Amino acid sequence: MSAPLVVFDKVEKKFDDFTAVKELDFEIREGEFIAIMGPSGCGKTTTLRMLAGLEAPTSGEIRLNGQVMNDVLPHERDTPLVWQSLALFPFLTAQRNVEFGLKMRGVGKAERAERARKWLDKMGILQFADRDISTLSGGQKQRVALARSLVMEPQVLLLDEPLSALDAHLVIRMQAVLTDLQRELGITFVYVTHSQSEAFAMADRVVIMTEGEIAQIGAPKDIYRAPANQFVAEFVGRNNILSGAVEAISDDTAKITTPSGDFAVPMNEVKLAEGQRASFVISADLVHLALDKPASENAAQCKLISEEFIGSMVTLFLEDAKGHEFKVQMQERELSTFDLKSGDDVWLSWDTQSAHVLSEE
Amino acid sequence: MPQKPARKFSLYAMTWRLPIIVWQLVFFVGPVLFMIAMSFFLVKNYRMTEAFEFVNWSKMMSRGYFWDSYWYTCLIAAVSTVCAMLLAFPAAFALAFRASDSTRRWAIFLLIIPFFTSYLVRTFSWFVILSESGVVNAMLGYIGLGPFTMLNTNFGTLVGYMTLTLPLVVILQTITMANIDKTLVETARNLGCKPLATIWQVILPLSKTGFIVAAIFCFILSFGDFVAPFYLGGSQEPTLPILILDTTKSGQQWPRAAVVAIIMMGTLFTIAFAGIALAYRKRKGAK
Repeated sequence: MSAPLVVFDKVEKKFDDFTAVKELDFEIREGEFIAIMGPSGCGKTTTLRMLAGLEAPTSGEIRLNGQVMNDVLPHERDTPLVWQSLALFPFLTAQRNVEFGLKMRGVGKAERAERARKWLDKMGILQFADRDISTLSGGQKQRVALARSLVMEPQVLLLDEPLSALDAHLVIRMQAVLTDLQRELGITFVYVTHSQSEAFAMADRVVIMTEGEIAQIGAPKDIYRAPANQFVAEFVGRNNILSGAVEAISDDTAKITTPSGDFAVPMNEVKLAEGQRASFVISADLVHLALDKPASENAAQCKLISEEFIGSMVTLFLEDAKGHEFKVQMQERELSTFDLKSGDDVWLSWDTQSAHVLSEE
Repeated sequence: MPQKPARKFSLYAMTWRLPIIVWQLVFFVGPVLFMIAMSFFLVKNYRMTEAFEFVNWSKMMSRGYFWDSYWYTCLIAAVSTVCAMLLAFPAAFALAFRASDSTRRWAIFLLIIPFFTSYLVRTFSWFVILSESGVVNAMLGYIGLGPFTMLNTNFGTLVGYMTLTLPLVVILQTITMANIDKTLVETARNLGCKPLATIWQVILPLSKTGFIVAAIFCFILSFGDFVAPFYLGGSQEPTLPILILDTTKSGQQWPRAAVVAIIMMGTLFTIAFAGIALAYRKRKGAK
């Protein structure tokens, strides 16, 4: 593994008496597409702004290529940012917007025109080079903003929810543009978003933050299948979370008593002790549905509350006798064989190995 | 052919529009038309008589002192505008970018207070400060300088103009810059722009319209002001407003004063329109 490009070393940021970021400790590898995700106010944008030098850490160190960046002024950094609002200069044409950074770096007129036009061409918007920003569409502006940052040929590109202002169909297209660009250029992307679909679709690793702290770092699949704690499990969604007391321990499984019943969980990662409180999750797509009581040791009887269709996938919302909510995700054609309606009783079951014990509360 | 929606005459809408239309006709358009007519009248035995002669125009236009006064007024109003814009900028910049929202609101409120008091009173108070035995010269005297003559000079006139225009210019500049999207300034910094360079690269281009409006206001106020050049400048070189006063006093020459007034209005209209055109000009080459 190559040396980390960016290191956050116990970074803390306070605004007056509000702590936006606490003890942030993580590394970004060169050439990585990393997404920082979390709800509003979790400190993700502050983290990005500290990396760009627009906020100074209250304590701790940020290192880029091993160099401490704390006292490096924003204009001396090579960390262009693509803004949520795009922040294109309205008094400049598309091409002059792209040239701006090069001009500030003292690149000659002919060279910066050539490099700007090369990037506009790469983004497929060369024909709009001389247009006023106000005459461009949302997608075109997005591409100008990307070109303006990429023309600087930075080692790391920062993106702050750049797709949040676009229509849904444009978001999917821009996601493809971004991932292709990142692969092709090999630039490190640091992508801040509140959208799980964007983060999981594009990133190699996802950092999930809450209340100024990192809740979990990992590949999208690991975060989805093995959330570290209740916050991540709930934030990622489409998870069934059950809590109870550990009743019995065998070699590699533990039995947990919950209000919804007794269930077995694997013990490969987290060590459990008898009598201890524990929570575990089962992804909604790993839950099986049956009309009759299944033979599985992990089964719960539920009433169907509602259904939610997203294309060919459907999510069922159910409730057991104790009022605990369950979610099941399956193919619509699979569901249609059951012929269910709201209020019907069904059985849910899952393999013991599908359950994942949360390491912390 | 697409049909234009028919404009129906609405009595209701007209009733509401009427007061302002009548007001403008009676108190603005009427007097201006009368003034234009008056500029063709004749004065016989100190009495104005109706006529249609070009003699007032030809007399005024051929006088050297009129043109001296005209160009002097244009120049000193322009100098006043430049001074006010430059002096106001640091204050407005600090209020727009450094001050908190509440500080800015208070500052704008405090900047309005000068308008509560008579401009004449504020002008007279400068006597105490600027005279030979005034506050400034007394202070300079302690360190062995002066006394300097500041009253009845161009400097005195400019101090008066600043009294008149500076609060307004600071307010207009502050509001203009406070409304700038701060992200754009950060973007410039993010793309390698040095802190001071952001003023030229981003802040001024974004403030163009507001700043031109502030400058136009400043020029109009200075150009038409009578008090500062008369009391603080000592009307050494008469500005056009002083010329109007002198003309009316000497031999009841109201028609010739009207000529001066019309030329002043024409000049201000030209400057205002040119300024607005500049403020909203489309960039060259932009489609």
